[in-house]
Amino acid sequence: MLALDIQNLGKIFKGKKRQIVDALQGVSLTVPEGEVFGFLGPNGAGKSTTIKCLMGLIRPTTGSANIMGVAAGTEASKRHVGYLPENPAFYDYLSAEEYLSFVGRTFQMQESLLQRRREEALKLLELWDARKRPIRGYSKGMVQRVGLAQVLIHDPSVYILDEPMSGLDPIGRALVKEIILDLKKRGKCVFFSTHITDDVEKVCDRVGILLHGQLKLVERVDTIMTQGIVGYQIRIRNSDGKSVDHQVTKDMLDGFIAGQVASGNEVVLVEPRRKNLEDLFLALVHNGAGSSS
Amino acid sequence: MITIIQITLKGIFRDRVFQGIMALAVLFLFIPSAASLSMRQVTELSITLSLSLISFILLLLAVFLGSTSLWKDMERRYTFSVLSLPVSRTSYLLGRFFGLALFLLMTSALLGTVAGLVIKVASGIYPPGRPIVWSYLLLAVIFATLKYILLVAAAMLLSTVSTSFFLPVFGTICTFLASGITQQVYEFVHSPASANTISPFLKTVATGVYYILPNLSGFDLKVNAIYSIPPSGYGLGLTLFYFISYTAMLLGGAALLFARREMK
Repeated sequence: MLALDIQNLGKIFKGKKRQIVDALQGVSLTVPEGEVFGFLGPNGAGKSTTIKCLMGLIRPTTGSANIMGVAAGTEASKRHVGYLPENPAFYDYLSAEEYLSFVGRTFQMQESLLQRRREEALKLLELWDARKRPIRGYSKGMVQRVGLAQVLIHDPSVYILDEPMSGLDPIGRALVKEIILDLKKRGKCVFFSTHITDDVEKVCDRVGILLHGQLKLVERVDTIMTQGIVGYQIRIRNSDGKSVDHQVTKDMLDGFIAGQVASGNEVVLVEPRRKNLEDLFLALVHNGAGSSS
Repeated sequence: MITIIQITLKGIFRDRVFQGIMALAVLFLFIPSAASLSMRQVTELSITLSLSLISFILLLLAVFLGSTSLWKDMERRYTFSVLSLPVSRTSYLLGRFFGLALFLLMTSALLGTVAGLVIKVASGIYPPGRPIVWSYLLLAVIFATLKYILLVAAAMLLSTVSTSFFLPVFGTICTFLASGITQQVYEFVHSPASANTISPFLKTVATGVYYILPNLSGFDLKVNAIYSIPPSGYGLGLTLFYFISYTAMLLGGAALLFARREMK
């Protein structure tokens, strides 16, 4: 079953003085169960708008979306989802423990299961010692961790995370990546937005790149990584024993190696030079900026 | 919805504004001595002051909690996390409303008990001209509470359309002030005395406003409580019916508007 099925999703915001912002234009995308999908785009690209449409926080102007086969934004669809908003805020007069209990009860979890999951989530996200303190006293990173804990507590099929690494220190970021990989192992669908390409490379199966409200590319991350070889770095040891590095394009590789061997030089190292996701992303952004201007 | 009601109550009890407003309840301690200054009708004055103080505290709570409950959730972005849970917007809105309504009931029960003790003390020292009928006093407190619950519904309706703090707060205050005099204005514009002084257009406007704004004068049973006058059962029934239907209309409107509101 498709965890997410987005068809021709569009959103126009009408501002003051009849200003119109075309925030999202005909986005179509499907994400199957068990896949980690990275939703990449610069600030203002429309990532959060897409996610808010999925969660029913805003109404799309065109198109539709389903979550686990149920119309997005409905109570039934939300039962399948764990959602982490961008820069999350939670009732700050509650403690993390109370907030997680509140979330669990809205999902009608059994009290014993809720207690067990709450403890697991708090310990996993290193909030156990602070669990009884009001959230208003938490740091930004701790609030983000509460957000992740409330996403995990009811063990949904789909995780929609809006900038989950934002506000976290390197240890926290590593922990989130670990959690995402663990969810993947358990067959869960994780759909997360980010503008950090490294995060996508490390944990995602596929990536979608959104620019100016348009979905420019959807591709497997491993395909991008293998097809992105633009040339090779070759280390040659000559007859004097000196090593010299050469940059060779993909087309010239065979001829270059044959020439070196014929000259009596030794080829010590051949290392592919890849165009990584960041290069691809930046190239798309620059092309997009060029075409839009 | 029950979980939203619980969260609402927790939020109010931990709110400093609530704690500050409730500190006003200390004024009850001064009622017997303040009433004794009147030299006569001390018990009657104690009842008046007690009911007025209850009314004033409930008004402050209704205006500030009713107007800020939704607004604060949207302003502080709590709605993003709460409305993404399997809770419909209507359940959320009604949960908030019933949480506040329950809180007003609890507050008036507490203040009503304190007022009862104060009046008992005052009547023990200065026996009243007419015996106190405690059930009338209870009715006065109950209907005052219903009045402010209705005001909370009006505040919530205004919160659903506003992006700022001002419309819900000042709109609720204006609604309260206007709703206390609409009956008199209506009676005046329809009296023979006004026929030559009020234009037909103004009369139509005043009549329209009368039907739109809540009419809270029927909820005031202070005179009945103070002078032990039995209230009309029919009048009470009508007021109760008015409370239920008007509150339902306000909440229905609020739910419709809130369902359409975009959480940008």
